[in-house]
Amino acid sequence: MSLTPAQIEAMVQANAAALGLRIAVEHKPGVIAFVTLAAAMAERVMGQELGVEDESGAVFVPVSPRGPLA
Amino acid sequence: MKAVEIAAKVRSGELSASSVVQSSLALIAATDPKVNAFTAVLAERAIKRAGQIDKHTRRAELSLAGVPFAVKNLFDIAGLPTLAGSKIERDAAPASRDALLVRRMEAAGAILVGALNMDEYAYGFTTENSHYGPTRNPHDLTRISGGSSGGSGAAVAAGQVPITLGSDTNGSIRVPSSLCGVFGLKPTYGRLPRLGSYPFVASLDHLGPFARSVADLAFAYDAMQGPAPDDPACAQRPPEPTRELLGGRTDGLRIAVLGGWFREMAMPEALAAVDAVAQALGTTRLVELHDVDRARAAAFLITNAESSTLHLADLKTRAQDFEPLSRDRFLAGALLPAAWIVQAQRVRHAFARQLARAFETVDVLLAPATPCVAPVIGTEWLEINGQRLPARASMGLLTQPISCIGLPVVAVPLWGCNPAAPHLPIGVQVIAAPWREDLALRVAAELEAQGLATAPVAALN
Repeated sequence: MSLTPAQIEAMVQANAAALGLRIAVEHKPGVIAFVTLAAAMAERVMGQELGVEDESGAVFVPVSPRGPLA
Repeated sequence: MKAVEIAAKVRSGELSASSVVQSSLALIAATDPKVNAFTAVLAERAIKRAGQIDKHTRRAELSLAGVPFAVKNLFDIAGLPTLAGSKIERDAAPASRDALLVRRMEAAGAILVGALNMDEYAYGFTTENSHYGPTRNPHDLTRISGGSSGGSGAAVAAGQVPITLGSDTNGSIRVPSSLCGVFGLKPTYGRLPRLGSYPFVASLDHLGPFARSVADLAFAYDAMQGPAPDDPACAQRPPEPTRELLGGRTDGLRIAVLGGWFREMAMPEALAAVDAVAQALGTTRLVELHDVDRARAAAFLITNAESSTLHLADLKTRAQDFEPLSRDRFLAGALLPAAWIVQAQRVRHAFARQLARAFETVDVLLAPATPCVAPVIGTEWLEINGQRLPARASMGLLTQPISCIGLPVVAVPLWGCNPAAPHLPIGVQVIAAPWREDLALRVAAELEAQGLATAPVAALN
């Protein structure tokens, strides 16, 4: 279900406060427009049915120390 | 002259690297006031390096001997701050050494002559950079060059250098290749190391070359391959040279056109270009994928969130110094719920598996690189598939689903596909399975050999 404009604005305010990110008055309409666009994208992404085999693509790669190991 | 010809003549002694570099520098001086591809020209460094190549005892072994090249200004260049198209990074310390790919190009004999314009922090498809001015399309100076590697596409199209390097996160090599009428290679994700380049979205960033011929692309690509243990995203594969494979036959390859999204979001000129390529390759086969829009949405969300987090400290303290065209988008990206981003990564994974299944029955897929030819600078809206869409973001509609899953692509330029603007090129993506850059290059070489895909130097009228 799509987020309403009021829900988008509330999310912007709450998440900005949580991050300590000040949104200047002149940037607010643009930020809300882009979060609204992202929400529409998220609706498509969240609507895809996935299984446990669909793991995250953000796979961590361990970092080995330089030089020979003991 | 193309890079392969220059290198052959420098190796044989018919031309000196010094004269080649002087010609390139003179052409940049004469043409860049119109094009605005360069943000730095490294005349002193290039002339010095050319002298070294001319005296090199093993000059005859250098595959790119004396070939001038330039790089998007997100590659580290020793002694310069790495701008990544921004005003903010002017304050950064100069790079202490060149990016790894610059070093590999120079080890093959190529000569760095400058740094190139781009969208700020690579977040854009147009190179309408408010800090450094727009890079203009050499084939029509009123139009965009594409982006974010706009300087890289334009410098090759203008004939300033035969090879440039750029980056591609969502289409930033393929879009300027398409709009500027040059060949571009986005290798498999993880193929080329990114050490010494300014990141945009580590989950999606690729580096690759632009050139005016497929052979030039292959020579540059081959020179840059190889593992880099300090780069966690690099696949650590041994080099798999491609340049000797370009003349291979393509009639045994299973080739298909991508349908669905890739035709619905394309204007008539883009469809005409793909259809011409399909006809030249003798295929009528169509492959329909599902959930392409979800893959594109996943790329959008990952890009937005990951890039914003990278710049969060500056967004908190100096948001006014960001590019006005992307500042609000960066601010927005910091505010997205984590679940959207994690799910986007999972969707990406599922889409990659769908394509892997498709590649069990085909070798190469074809799709337009951009929905249309280059729009006029400042264009805000496009009408695509009956929808009024923001022009700048829409230039990546057809590239994002492919880079989202890291497939190798060669963008090939065609001409005359838009009867109203026959002087403008448009690109077709030749897409292969992971690690099969050789197949995409081979098909691109066949299209070039047939005379269908060409990259002439712009007249700059």
